[in-house]
Amino acid sequence: MEEREKTKNNTEMRILGFLCNWCSYGGADTAGVSRLKQPTDLRIIRIPCTGRMDPLFAFKALISGADGVLVSGCHPKDCHYSVGNLYARRRFEVLKDFLPFLGIESDRFHYTWVSASEGQRWQEVVTEFSRRIHELGRNPGFDMNTNLVNSEAR
Amino acid sequence: MWSEITKKLQETVQNIMPQVEAVIGWERGFNEIRIKPVVIKKEGDISKLVWNPFCVQNLSGYLVKSPAVIPREGRRVAICVKGCDSRSVTALIQEGFLKRDQIFIIGIPCSGTVDWRKVMKRLERSSVIHRAEIKDGRLMVEHAEGVEEIPLREILLRRCLRCVYPNPTVSDVVIGETVSPHIEKEDLYKDVEAFERKSLDERRKFWAETLSRCIRCYACRNACPLCICQDWCIAERRDPKWVTQKPTLKDILLFHGIHALHLAGRCTECGECERVCPMEIPVMFIKEKLNETTLRLFSYEAGIDSNLVPPLLTFNPHETGI
Ligand code: SF4
Ligand code: SF4
Ligand code: FES
Repeated sequence: MEEREKTKNNTEMRILGFLCNWCSYGGADTAGVSRLKQPTDLRIIRIPCTGRMDPLFAFKALISGADGVLVSGCHPKDCHYSVGNLYARRRFEVLKDFLPFLGIESDRFHYTWVSASEGQRWQEVVTEFSRRIHELGRNPGFDMNTNLVNSEAR
Repeated sequence: MWSEITKKLQETVQNIMPQVEAVIGWERGFNEIRIKPVVIKKEGDISKLVWNPFCVQNLSGYLVKSPAVIPREGRRVAICVKGCDSRSVTALIQEGFLKRDQIFIIGIPCSGTVDWRKVMKRLERSSVIHRAEIKDGRLMVEHAEGVEEIPLREILLRRCLRCVYPNPTVSDVVIGETVSPHIEKEDLYKDVEAFERKSLDERRKFWAETLSRCIRCYACRNACPLCICQDWCIAERRDPKWVTQKPTLKDILLFHGIHALHLAGRCTECGECERVCPMEIPVMFIKEKLNETTLRLFSYEAGIDSNLVPPLLTFNPHETGI
């Protein structure tokens, strides 16, 4: 209850979590089942593997004004498809380095590895990332509704 | 000097004509500073071929994107390449879109190509060009209102002013003398670095303003030799739906994100995207950033070594700190 109150007072951030079905999704579940307290800003999207994670998913979310994007998958060498996360981590590193070039804080994007049994670790990851996003505040993004031809039309 | 190289080029083509199916090169356009691509299929047309600093187009796209010139079994297609263009050819070979033995590469060292828009801006009111000549590093243009002399350096394309591979990196024959680059390799990303010293707000503002000029004509994508999806491009497909047709900044940014991220670790900085943009948007600058990243993280440069796999198309299990 106390946690609820807290969220009410600080506005909730819009954080997207892309979680691999085989590990981190289970890890988040473990955390829930063990009743570990977690911030409520995260909206989870389940993906089959971090290898499925197109960096454009995060890119689109962030330019559209999401406050943060968190990706979590199986630890390297534990990927259900062997190497999905090894491809993925290269793409994520590139994206992280690219975002500030367009004026988006690279801290708004984070990726990590959490296994299905690591409920405790999941709690720490979410708590830390949410704290970081609260610190950064709202993502000003780009003025998305600007209709460049005729702003009255829509 | 240019007419000599043109002559040598024509002689070379004459010699290899029996072995190849077609030759992709450049010919004069509607005036001397506007050159256009040409595909030579018969000997009688060889005299059309030219080489000079107005030969701006990267022709390598014609090897893979429709209407591509594809050789029949056991035959070859010849293509004229500048330094930057040769990297595109290598990149296409690297990614398996092309086989080395399908093509005959005519390499031409290049000391920079001319941005015709910069020339036209110098001519002010006049738009009709009667004659143009480049001599001793200066362009002399005879136009409807008189004569204008411009130092070549002032009218080169941005890509040429920052080119570090002016000599073809792969070729079957080279025409002309080796040239030296305009800048040192360590200065390649100094514009990117300078831009990154600005605040995040300034950067966001720069892109919002600059990209709001984009009319999404997709010329930049179409001109890119490595943007090979064509009809399957997710910027135009409605399933999955990524970009809408609404003229909003979001759709523009998303389109540029698609082009840039799909080119990450693949772009050879040939500058075609930027050259063809009717709105004069520095489109290549976005890719320069990604190249700076892939060079720093993976020590990789696109289109140099045909045996390497682009960094985002592979992985390294031993990588740490990533
Ligand atoms: S060529 Fe220029 S105007 Fe056309 S889509 Fe590309 S950036 Fe936009
Ligand atoms: S993105 Fe631009 S500079 Fe890079 S390969 Fe394509 S056309 Fe050339
Ligand atoms: S299956 Fe979990 S990261 Fe690949």
